Amino acid sequence: MSILSKDKRIIYSRKIKGFWEEYSRNKIGLVGLIGLLTFVFMALLAPWLTPYDPLQTTRLAEGFAMPEWVSIFPQYQDLPRTTENDVYWDLLNVSQGSMQLVDALPGRELEVQYNGASEFLKTDVYFTSPTYTYPYQPPYSFNFAFRMTAENVRDVRYNVEIFLISTTGAKWRIWPYRPWSQHVPAGEDKSLLVHSESSDYWLNVAVGLDAGVENLAEETFSEKGDYRLLLHMNFSPEADRASCKIIIEDTRFVIPGLLHGILGTDNVGGDILSQIIYGARISLAIGLLAAAVSTLLGILIGIMAGYMGGVVDEITMRIVDILLCLPVLPLLLALVFLFGKSVWYIVLLIAVFGWQGLSRLVRSLVLSLRETAFIECARASGASRFYIMTKHLVPNVLPVAFASMVLSVPGAILTEASLSFLGFGDPSSPTWGRMLQQAFGFGAFKALAWWWIIPPGLALTGLCLSFVFMGHAVDEVINPRLRMRR
Amino acid sequence: MGMRTYIVKRVAIALAVLFIIASLNFVLFQVVAPIDYVSTIIDPNMTQEQRDMLRREFGLDQEYHIRYITYLKNMFTWNFGLSFANRMPVNRELGWRLPNSILLLGTAQIAIILIGIPLGILAGSRRGSKTDVSVIGSGLFAWGVPTFYIQLLFMLFFCYYLFIWFGWRVPVGNIMSWPPPENPILLIADIAWHLALPVLTLVVASFGGWALYVRNMIIDALTQDYIVTARAKGLKERTVLYRHAFRSTLPPIVTMIAMAVPGIVTGAMITEYIFSLPGIGQWYLSSLMAGDYPVVQAVLFIYAVLMIAANLISDLIYGILDPRIRVGMRR
Repeated sequence: MSILSKDKRIIYSRKIKGFWEEYSRNKIGLVGLIGLLTFVFMALLAPWLTPYDPLQTTRLAEGFAMPEWVSIFPQYQDLPRTTENDVYWDLLNVSQGSMQLVDALPGRELEVQYNGASEFLKTDVYFTSPTYTYPYQPPYSFNFAFRMTAENVRDVRYNVEIFLISTTGAKWRIWPYRPWSQHVPAGEDKSLLVHSESSDYWLNVAVGLDAGVENLAEETFSEKGDYRLLLHMNFSPEADRASCKIIIEDTRFVIPGLLHGILGTDNVGGDILSQIIYGARISLAIGLLAAAVSTLLGILIGIMAGYMGGVVDEITMRIVDILLCLPVLPLLLALVFLFGKSVWYIVLLIAVFGWQGLSRLVRSLVLSLRETAFIECARASGASRFYIMTKHLVPNVLPVAFASMVLSVPGAILTEASLSFLGFGDPSSPTWGRMLQQAFGFGAFKALAWWWIIPPGLALTGLCLSFVFMGHAVDEVINPRLRMRR
Repeated sequence: MGMRTYIVKRVAIALAVLFIIASLNFVLFQVVAPIDYVSTIIDPNMTQEQRDMLRREFGLDQEYHIRYITYLKNMFTWNFGLSFANRMPVNRELGWRLPNSILLLGTAQIAIILIGIPLGILAGSRRGSKTDVSVIGSGLFAWGVPTFYIQLLFMLFFCYYLFIWFGWRVPVGNIMSWPPPENPILLIADIAWHLALPVLTLVVASFGGWALYVRNMIIDALTQDYIVTARAKGLKERTVLYRHAFRSTLPPIVTMIAMAVPGIVTGAMITEYIFSLPGIGQWYLSSLMAGDYPVVQAVLFIYAVLMIAANLISDLIYGILDPRIRVGMRR
């Protein structure tokens, strides 16, 4: 069952049709609508448009990686792209005479079973990764990770080393490097989860670089060329019937690129495009909600003031005067600081401080409507105040209120953006204002990361302008003579 | 309603706003979420007795209503207490920060008006021309672009790229060089040079809105019957434009100036934050984050005073400009 009678439904559908006909003739309005639809599309399809969750995903590339398309400029052509190698180990060499002692299973999960006796002094096993090509400029860093498990260790001293054969052909021992973990004690089961960065101080010291001046990644990849990893295992049995099993799994060698995606990365290697896409959700939600609530308040208070008149009118209009004199943003900041940074609370605050203009407008409309014949008729035929306000006044101020709502969305969006930019936004939601705050606070300027500074503001501007355009079009359609700008 | 009632009413509202802001300050920072004043200025090793004594001395042991009255008295006599951060009177720091803010705010506001209004008149008198279209464009731009975004872009370009490309240094971060030049003319030039970029960004961000507003008013005025009459009298177009059309748009423009003050105040706050200018806005933000309530209260109060003053002045000018109020017709 519909709440509207059939006649009314027809009237309303005609009105809406007529409105759309007028509106669709307005070019600016259409541009605004298309803009808005784009952002709505972005907001709704965010999880499908981008694979990354903006708040969780970092280290997709080097921090401050440029957008990938800048490589059309020759000076950026050779910037490193992110290369991630899941290493497949191949058996290279087992020291002579030890073949029967070692049972090696190469692959992603490398497994070495050693069975030795004390008469064999040393057994060396070498594995190699495939040869990878590195066709770019030197990177800032690389990192590698693997899991090492030593099981059933009995009377044997074992040693595992990883080397990087760099593009220049030099051999760098990149693991182990910490002075206190040079040697794994004999006869001990061990499970290690290794994740190392080339910027690690001890690694630089261990390979003999001046940490802080020289950069290991730049040294090892100083030329374009081929590189590979080398795994060396060494077993020294200490008694007869020595044995152990070593498993190396999930070896991963990553060179974070200095080019990433469509909009590059932020300071921790997070994808900026996905932050922009997810930001549309918050901005749209906050803007529309705050505008809707403040419009509702504005209509209610305006109609009350205008139709009741007298003391109610006087009091509400003085309240409006007072609200217009309040320093809203500083006050909002204080309230947010004191009572928490939740999105809903911020919406409520923006709405509570945003209804004054509309209520004045509605009041003046109602003041003139009050004197018209049809209201007088309604009153004469015994309609109650409530009935007149809801059935006659509300429908008449609705078009104006709608235009005002559309025009008040940008204000709400920008207020939220300002709050977030000043660090008083909801910390759990990725908004455009927060992106700008982080860019401002985390060195985007010093890094000249224009790809981090420009897009959030453009998105804000685009969304706000969409609403401004639509608002002007709606304004023109509904009320060609009445200009309502603040 | 004559001029006098009008003025009385406006002043009453101004006082009410001040009273409300002061009360809000009290409720928010001393009743809802207070920070113990004594604990911030006293060695934590002091005994409870000594603390109680100090609390008594500061009047913190009294009932809320008594404290409220003392508080109101202090606010209205410009006594904002000691800052938690440096234990100095808030007044003293306010004394040198407030002029900086007012300088920034005032210069920007005046520049915006001086650029925006003539542009608006020009665009309005040449409806449909290229000037008009660009004014509309810049007006919409002002609606949609956040001021702080323009400032960030300007900062990126002027303070970083210009330095990298050409080695030019645009000052940022203070109101004057240190030590300031001795020569007063050089000092003024120095301050102007330091304020140039912030003021420029504020102007760029908001002159368009003004121009658009004035343009619409002028266009509206130019379609009125009295303009036809004026033209029919054979007056020069210039006279028609300035003496008849523009004159009639003055009252709403004056209101607009008052209405723009909140925007400028908050804009100046963010500007001070971005360019680290030592004004009250930047002070407010850092104090708020540090929980330095006396400063927060003082600055909120000052902001209210600034806005009320602007409103009051514009209301008075409105009263003078609008003959209906001057002569005593109903508003």
